[in-house]
Amino acid sequence: MTFGTIGLLVILLLFGLFALGLEIGFAMALAGFIGFAAIVNVDAALNLVAKDIYSVLSSYGFTVIPMFVLMGQVGASGGVARGLYDSAYKFLGHVPGGLAIGTVAAATAFKAICGSSPATAATFATIAVPEMDRYNYDKRLSCGTVATVGTLGILIPPSVVLIIYGILTETSIGRLFLAGIVPGLMIAASFAITLYGWCKVNPELGPKGDRSTWRERFASLPPVLGVIIIFILVVGGLMQGFFTPTEAGSVGTFAVLLLTLAKRDMNMKRFVQAIMETLRIACMVIMLIAGATILSHFFAVTRTPYLVATWLESLEVHRMVIMFIIIAVYLIGGSFIEDLAFLIVATPIFLPVVLKLGYDPVWFGVIVSVVTMIGVILPPMAINAFVVSGVARVPVSTVYSGIYPYIIGMSLCLVILLFFPEISLWLPGMFMK
Amino acid sequence: MYVIAGCALAGSMFLTVADVILRTFKRPILGTYELVGLLGAITIAFAIPQTTRVRGHVLMDFVTSRLPKAGQMVLYVLTRLLAIAIFWIMASNLWSLGNDYKKVGEVTLTLQLPVYPIAWCLAACCLVECIVLLWDIFEHKGAQE
Repeated sequence: MTFGTIGLLVILLLFGLFALGLEIGFAMALAGFIGFAAIVNVDAALNLVAKDIYSVLSSYGFTVIPMFVLMGQVGASGGVARGLYDSAYKFLGHVPGGLAIGTVAAATAFKAICGSSPATAATFATIAVPEMDRYNYDKRLSCGTVATVGTLGILIPPSVVLIIYGILTETSIGRLFLAGIVPGLMIAASFAITLYGWCKVNPELGPKGDRSTWRERFASLPPVLGVIIIFILVVGGLMQGFFTPTEAGSVGTFAVLLLTLAKRDMNMKRFVQAIMETLRIACMVIMLIAGATILSHFFAVTRTPYLVATWLESLEVHRMVIMFIIIAVYLIGGSFIEDLAFLIVATPIFLPVVLKLGYDPVWFGVIVSVVTMIGVILPPMAINAFVVSGVARVPVSTVYSGIYPYIIGMSLCLVILLFFPEISLWLPGMFMK
Repeated sequence: MYVIAGCALAGSMFLTVADVILRTFKRPILGTYELVGLLGAITIAFAIPQTTRVRGHVLMDFVTSRLPKAGQMVLYVLTRLLAIAIFWIMASNLWSLGNDYKKVGEVTLTLQLPVYPIAWCLAACCLVECIVLLWDIFEHKGAQE
């Protein structure tokens, strides 16, 4: 049996294990172990499992994940989002759909400190949906908006998805963070345009709110300034090489902690809650990476990614067609498995293809993140829709119907980013030569 | 175990911040990188069993949720047994890895700390994970009945 055949059989086994309902991380570890034992020998496979688990769990490089997750959780538990929402509300509340546009603006600012998509969706479902209810906003619009804005953190730094992509592909996290800023703001603008257009066509969906005075507006700005300072400290320090990514995450967490303590929004109970939630998320992500590491060592022996790359290259089509095939695989795969998990499974396989086609890995990181953004709100595995449905107590179908208009805007942005890589690569090119 | 994991997480954050601050005064904390790496191992390993208890690991229930209850039960037991198998493999081989590290005197680069206790800790956590998974089978079966 050739290595290619064994590689294919292990991929089938892997999807079989996923279908049985085995946890994705455990399934990757098991499939990698079985494949490695079949190709090399059982002793080597036993050794591989122990060494990979030890090296992933004790690696300094991977400690960046819990740190940035903790930063977001402290921000979410400490009421930072409330201050941002109040400010955005005072500036934009009086225009049609203004409360929802304010939610987009506040979430964009909040993403500067919180990289978790479901955490943002849950936070804004608690803060913004009751406020929009007060002004008789249509539930589709209010719930669809909070579910969608949660996705911004996948692209706007410090994004956990970009960190994981950087670790998996050995790409500079600083460059990825910079590359995510302009596309992230572009997609946030597409949300605001979608909302404005939607409410112009049907004003009953999002009636105007109260108009605030300029005095009230300026008085609401201090929380926004705090977040901007932390963002500049974290991303700037990382970009200038003053911090390692783990240090940037730790300093950012500490700064958010100080901010919430200063506002008297943080106490021991909330801090412990943030720690516990971080442990759950970080453990889930790192077990996925540990499983993927074992599996990728098996793939390295069988050279499966290179076989896939060679096969795709042999297709006599334009490289952009291959890119669309890869995006379709991510979207379809992410519809059945959690999107982040699928990204961890698929990226080591597709990256060699992308590099062989002559694309930039930083640009591909941005594309994968936008695809993941669409994936987390695309049925049937739309995690953000489930979160908002649970918090706001509305049927998932209502949330879905509010999401579709945004997906159109996001898909347009994806196409623009695909054909104009310079939009993503401009900032890293300017600041990180 | 979650308390130990939480303390390790908060500890590594405060240690890193202290190192960054002291570094600006040219007084860095020696061996911060390796301490944070080892604390990271404790953070994640000690969180594994609780994450399993709260069903925090990602899985695909797209297929299983469409099956009748009896079929779901069979698959649930089967997947728990497969998970026990992989964690048993991890536990026993991490224990052996710790023994090897002890035998050859493997230490960290700067602080010269022995690393075998960390490998043993990871092995112990994987063993606890096996017990949690086994407990899960009985609990799930009890709930079904």
